[in-house]
Order: sequence, then structure tokens, then C-alpha cells
Amino acid sequence: MDDIRYAERVVSAAEVKIAASRVQVFYGLNHALKDVDVEILGKTVTAFIGPSGCGKSTFLRCLNRMNDTIPGCRIEGRITLDGHDIYDPRVDPVQLRAKVGMVFQKPNPFPKSIYDNVAYGPRIHGLARSKAEIDEIVETALRRAALWEEVKDRLAAPGTGLSGGQQQRLCIARAIATSPEVLLMDEPCSALDPIATAQIEELIDELRTQFSVVIVTHSMQQAARVSQRTAFFHLGRLVEYGETGQIFTNPHDPRTESYISGRIG
Amino acid sequence: MSLGILVLAVLILAAAGFLAGRRRAISSAGGDPRRLHSLPGHYGQFAALLTAVPALALLAVWLMAQPMVIEQRVASLLPAGDASTSSLVMADVRRISTGLQRLAVTDGLSPRDVAGLSPEGLAPRLRAVGVAVTSMGPETLAAARAHRDLQDRLGFWMVVSVLATSAAGLGLALARIRPDFRARNTTERFVMVILIAASLVAVATTVGIVMSLLFETMNFFRLYPAQDFFLSLTWNPQFRGGSDLGIWPLLWGTMYISFIALLVAVPIGLLTAIYLAEYAGARARSWAKPAIEILAGIPTIVYGLFALVTVGPALRDWFAQPLGLGASSSSVMTAGLVMGIMLIPFISSLSDDIINAVPQSLRDGSYGLGATHSETVKQVILPAALPGIVGAILLGASRAIGETMIVVLGAGAAAKLSLNPFEAMTTVTVKIVSQLTGDTEFASPETLVAFALGLTLFAITLVLNVIALFIVRKYREQYE
Repeated sequence: MDDIRYAERVVSAAEVKIAASRVQVFYGLNHALKDVDVEILGKTVTAFIGPSGCGKSTFLRCLNRMNDTIPGCRIEGRITLDGHDIYDPRVDPVQLRAKVGMVFQKPNPFPKSIYDNVAYGPRIHGLARSKAEIDEIVETALRRAALWEEVKDRLAAPGTGLSGGQQQRLCIARAIATSPEVLLMDEPCSALDPIATAQIEELIDELRTQFSVVIVTHSMQQAARVSQRTAFFHLGRLVEYGETGQIFTNPHDPRTESYISGRIG
Repeated sequence: MSLGILVLAVLILAAAGFLAGRRRAISSAGGDPRRLHSLPGHYGQFAALLTAVPALALLAVWLMAQPMVIEQRVASLLPAGDASTSSLVMADVRRISTGLQRLAVTDGLSPRDVAGLSPEGLAPRLRAVGVAVTSMGPETLAAARAHRDLQDRLGFWMVVSVLATSAAGLGLALARIRPDFRARNTTERFVMVILIAASLVAVATTVGIVMSLLFETMNFFRLYPAQDFFLSLTWNPQFRGGSDLGIWPLLWGTMYISFIALLVAVPIGLLTAIYLAEYAGARARSWAKPAIEILAGIPTIVYGLFALVTVGPALRDWFAQPLGLGASSSSVMTAGLVMGIMLIPFISSLSDDIINAVPQSLRDGSYGLGATHSETVKQVILPAALPGIVGAILLGASRAIGETMIVVLGAGAAAKLSLNPFEAMTTVTVKIVSQLTGDTEFASPETLVAFALGLTLFAITLVLNVIALFIVRKYREQYE
């Protein structure tokens, strides 16, 4: 890929947004994630790569406690958001998820109008006092998700009637409408065609100005294109974590190198 | 040869056809199955189908046509009478014919003995073989003899022609088997024809039911003016004639009771379904769901008893009498409540399946935005499941409208137009039963009205089902 320009990446914001230390995840008796330590920086795109079943999606779902909804899942270790432990009993996972938004692998618009899809989060969290304010939030979110121009004339149309790429951008708009601080994306482009993928990737790069973005991806090119930092997971362990340029050009761990050059995975 | 043995013979022939067809296919390919167009089994199937299906179809048609042909022939031997007497005489003829058959078997009579039997003294002998005959003249006996002869003869020819068809099918199949014969495609088409025939049975039955209702209803309207039936507000059948047969009191009772039933069943059923599908753990679900479904297995007459013995008196003593609304233990409220309980498992079980079918990704999406459990249910899951839930409710409504036993025991049999839910009323179905009970001919408007009521009921449930389908389709376009 010619457009991979690692050297130009500058990681400006250095403050740590999410810190995970010695995180273990068990699904029943299955030890899915072992001893993961990661520090995710603010206003940065962090990519998780690794072969299928390596635990990267599992770890992503720990960051907003989505694993709570899976029966038999147990998490140990410590994950902090802005220095506060998110697994503290005093933390309400519902409020945490408003701060740490999530976009899923398959576009999953609700069976509602485009407008109501985006307004869903602001409404349930009471972010707006009037209809006009919701209108504004919806428009801003759709603009930021680069979808406004395509849907502004049919906001009342069902969200499920959009194309796959538009649906995924709608889901991104829906996630950023609650103004989260971190946006988690679980393979957001795996169900999309190359053009829609390029649009989403461009969007992710713009989102970086406001949020810290964590993206799980199977495509190493995508990780290289959109992220500033990359974490490589293998068999439930975090193998290597560092700047994207360094991971792709000069990995320290031989397993990382094998995966990147296509020998394992 | 009895029917069972004949069918068995055809099936054995078909099995032989299968083996022969397969063997012939393999040998026609010089022992190498790979040179055949289809698998050897397909050739066997082809032969078996061609042996069995036309023969069995012929058998079915023959069995339906034979009695008609025989009766037509025999009727010409009998003196002409009006329709009802000749049908009675024909029944006698059939009984005597059966009796002669049994006598021939038990007493070992030869055909000539049977022909020489005289009417005198025959009745006790027939009674001895279990056939009671009321009247027996020489014409009846002659007709019965002819009946029996024809039956014997036609029965023989039936066996011959069915077996011949079967054998011809087998021969034809074997003659057509060659390595390049497309047995696979032919059997596929054959199977499709059988499937179509099976589904036609249901469709044809529906058409038949509607037709029979329609004809009797037309008879009814010839005797009783349609505008009185549809517009009159009194229901007062008199078996002496001169009755008022207005449908409105019955329709009103039906709607009122069904409405109360749905008022009970829909909220409870729906909330149960939401609990089972969204909140209950695996263990709670594993005992709660079967427990609720036991309700669905209770016969409606038992619900009726519950209404009669428990709910009705309780409502009367605790609500109707203290409030001064009535003193009757059978009331619209009783029937409606009990019918509502009957419908709960129906609605909860259907809605539960529908809610479970909502994709997990929608739940994840909602939780991922920080929605709580009940927000997710209310704003995402129920809207997504709505078309199915509406369908479930309308299906429940159809059942409520068609329900009879609970109404008989719970709401009474008085046709009344009233708003008071503690008064006894009745429904269309109950009146259909009561109009047809007893030994009456289908000739007076008082009995024929049952068919008009039935047709009206059918039309109402049909409209409900069409609405249900329409809603489901409309929202499905939007949501998927």
C-alpha cells in the first residue's frame, strides 16, 4: 500500500485515557484473556490486531463492560478511565457506556427512523431540554459521521433502509450523539465494501480530534492506515504494543513479525 | 380381496419395482453405476412411484365413485317416491345387502341359495347376524340383491384394474430405464406433484367448507329476509315459526366477551413474554415456560367449569351484587376473564418466540449506548417485535371469537344487547350450537340460521386475519 505513511504520524496528546493492568477474562472455565496491560491515550486511534479468537474483541468489550451482559463471563484485574476504576461497584455500567460508546461489526440500526436512531442516546440520557436541541445534536452527529448530506431530506425514513455503509455511518453517528469520550469499534468495516470502508476510515481519522478511538480490525492495512498506536494480541495475550509505525516496520517480538508478514494467523 | 390386502399388494409391487428398477439400471449400464445419469436408487424410486401412485389414485377415485354408481343403478329398481322416503328405503337396501353378505359367509350360502331367499322369515335371520331391518318388501329384497351383486362385481373389477394399473406402471417404468434416462429429474418432479397434491387437500377443504356454508346460507336467506338478519336488534327464535333472528345481540356478545378476554390476556401475556425472553435466567425459564404452557393444554370445557363454579359466583358475590349491577353468576365478565386466562399462554408463547427472534445485535447496540434494560425493551425490542406481536394478538382474537364452551358455561345463553358486563349474554357460536341441537331438519329458518351465523363468524375472523397479515407485512418492509 503506497498510502501508508507511518513516519508522518505524530502522537500529540500524551495523557492516558484508559489504563488496563493485569486484566484476565474467563468465559466459564475458558481463560480467554491473560495478563493484559494497555494504556490507551486520549485523542488517538489505537488499533487491536491479531488472529481470530486471540481475545482482542473480548478486551474491547471489557472497556465498556459489555461483557457484563454475557452470562458466565468473569473479569479480573483493573481497568481505569481517567484514573477511576470502571469495575468499581459504585460505577453504573449504564453511565459508563454513555461515556464509552461502541460501534459493532455488523451495522445494527434500530427499527426506527434515521432521526430517532441518532436521537436515541441523547433522549435516554436526557442530554437535551428541547426538540430544537435534539435537532441540533442529531444534525451535528450526522454531519460528523459524514452522513448528513445523504440523509437530510429523509430523516423520517427508516434507518434500516440505508445501504450497508450508510447504516454503519448511522451507527457511528448514533454513538457520537451521546458525546462519549472514547469510541470503541469492533471491526466496523468487516461487512462493508472497499468504498464504504474508505469513507469510514476517513471518518475515524477525523473523529480523532474529539475522541479517543479504539478499533479492532482484521485488516493490517487498515490498522496501518488509521491508527497511531497498535496492539498485537495472540492466544489471549498482549504480545506487543507500541506506535503503529514501529509495530509494522520494526516489531520487537518475533510473533508480531510473523503475523505481520503473514506467517501465522 | 379386502381393501387392506389390495393396498398391501400394490405396495409390495412397488417395493419389487424399486429393486427391479435399480437392478435394471445397473445392468443397463454394464454394471458401472457411474455411467448412469442418476444414482441407481433414483431409477428404483422412479419405478416404485410409477407402480404405486397411479394405482392408488385409481383406487381412491374408484372407492369414491362406486357407491354412487351402485345407488343410481339400484334406485331404478325401486318404486319412485319423494326424496326423504327414497333415501330411507335406500338405507334399508344397503343394510339388507350387508346382511345378505354376512349370511352368505356365516351360513355358507351359495349364490343360488341367496337368489332363492324369500322375504318371509328373512328378518329374524338377518337380526341374528346383527342387521336390524324395519320393512322388507319383495322390491326391497330384489334391490338389495342387485346391490350386493353389483358390489361384488365392481369390487372384483376394482381389484383387477388396480393391480393391472400397478403392473402396467411397473412395466412402463422398466421399459424406460436406460443409462441416459433422467430418473433424478423425473422423481423430483413426481415428488413435487405429490407435495402440491397434499397442499391442495387443505385448500380444497377450505373451499368446500365455505361452499357448504354459502349454499345453506343462501337457502336461509330465501326463507328469511337478509335485512332482518343483519339489521334487527332482537334474537328470539320460535320453533313454531315467526321468530326474530337478528344477529346483533349475538355479535355484540361475541365482541364484548372477546374484548374483555383480550383486555386480560394481552397485557399479562405480553409482560410474561417480556419477562421470559429478556429477564428470566435459564433456570427460571426452564420451569416457567412449561408451566405456562400447561395452561394451553387445559381443555376449554374445564375452563368453562372453572368459570361456572368459581369465577362466576365470586364475581357475583364480590362485585355485581355489592355494586347493584346484577345477580347473575353467568356474565360477560366471567366468560371474558376466564377466556382471557385461556389466551394468556397463547399470546405469551407466541410473543416470547417473536421477542427471542429480535437479533442480539440490536440489544448490544442499545446497551452500547448506555440504555438500561427496560429502555432497551421498550424502545428497541418491542418496536422491532411489534408486527409479530400484533399478529399474535389478532390470532388470539380469532380464538376468542370462535370460543364456545367457556361462553356456554360462563356467560349463559341469553341473547341481549346491554352494556352491563355483569349481565348474562351469549355469543354467535353458542347460538349455532343451540340452534342445531335436537332432532330438526335443515329446512326451517330457525336451523338454517346457524349457517348464516357461521358464515358471518368466518367472515369476521377472515377479516381479522387479513388485517393481521397486512400489518405484519407493512411493518416488516420497514424493519428488515
